[in-house]
Amino acid sequence: MRNEEEPNKEGQEDQSQAKALMQKIQQLGQSQVAQAPDSNIHILPIIGQIEGHVQLPPKNKTTKYEHLIPQIIAIEQNPKIEGLIVLLNTVGGDVEAGLAISEMIASLSKPSVSIVLGGGHSIGVPIAVATDYSYIVETATMTIHPVRMNGLVIGVPQTFEYMEKMQERVLDFVTSHSNIEEEKLKDLMFAKGNLTRDIGTNVIGDDAVKYGLINEVGGVSHAMKKLKEMIDSNKDQQSEGSMIQ
Amino acid sequence: MIHYTPLSEFDIIEDDPSSYENNKIISLKGRTMKVQKMDDGNFQITQLLSTDPQDYLDTDFIPGTILSLQDFQE
Repeated sequence: MRNEEEPNKEGQEDQSQAKALMQKIQQLGQSQVAQAPDSNIHILPIIGQIEGHVQLPPKNKTTKYEHLIPQIIAIEQNPKIEGLIVLLNTVGGDVEAGLAISEMIASLSKPSVSIVLGGGHSIGVPIAVATDYSYIVETATMTIHPVRMNGLVIGVPQTFEYMEKMQERVLDFVTSHSNIEEEKLKDLMFAKGNLTRDIGTNVIGDDAVKYGLINEVGGVSHAMKKLKEMIDSNKDQQSEGSMIQ
Repeated sequence: MIHYTPLSEFDIIEDDPSSYENNKIISLKGRTMKVQKMDDGNFQITQLLSTDPQDYLDTDFIPGTILSLQDFQE
């Protein structure tokens, strides 16, 4: 039986391979798509909600930290990868997952650059500032507002203290990884009248740079240029170091 | 879990558990991707999860590509 089945299976495989080849020839007029050389710059897209300990319904676009964190380790370990670009278009999400991703990016030994596109709200702010250099496109916004919670509260003073600490962790990370003053950041966070249903501020491109939150206004070409510069200076330092040894 | 987002809770959470079943994360030819099961049993790629920019140029993994069961047997 088995002997009869195997050639059949092989025949099927040949057929499907031939079919795939035919499709490619029809679509592109060639049998082999040109392979680009391996990229020395990798990208980390952070989109939608940042998903933490609870899986969110599939209607949300999510970024899962169990995907990102091993990828960051792989980027750190792979000698062929020399730089990282973080692309942000996020509406925030889980505080702990966001801080975990931020800390991982901040502790990367390879140069990293972030670009805030569209939005980098709430927990997206620490991720945006975690890289060595940060860009925001002119039209992008970052909403800075206090950490809130919904649902049943047991023990108001304890819960308040816990939330306060949670917020401190976010504030500390942002102030230590960007040029913004803590006072300024708190002012933005508790500003009234800017958001219709909440307190806080919607910081737009230029303003984010003015406040010192983000390094510069710019897009892909700026980020690539900066990253290449950083990679080159990193290489120079390494070669100098080895000469001294 | 504390959610730090400008969206309201109702925009994020929904109670329909069946929506989880049709969305899966699979690995195919060494790449991880999010797929959605279609009515005819095939899967459609909704998102490619990769840090390598070259992977996004690979015509086999463009979001929207329909994967038949044959693809999984290879």
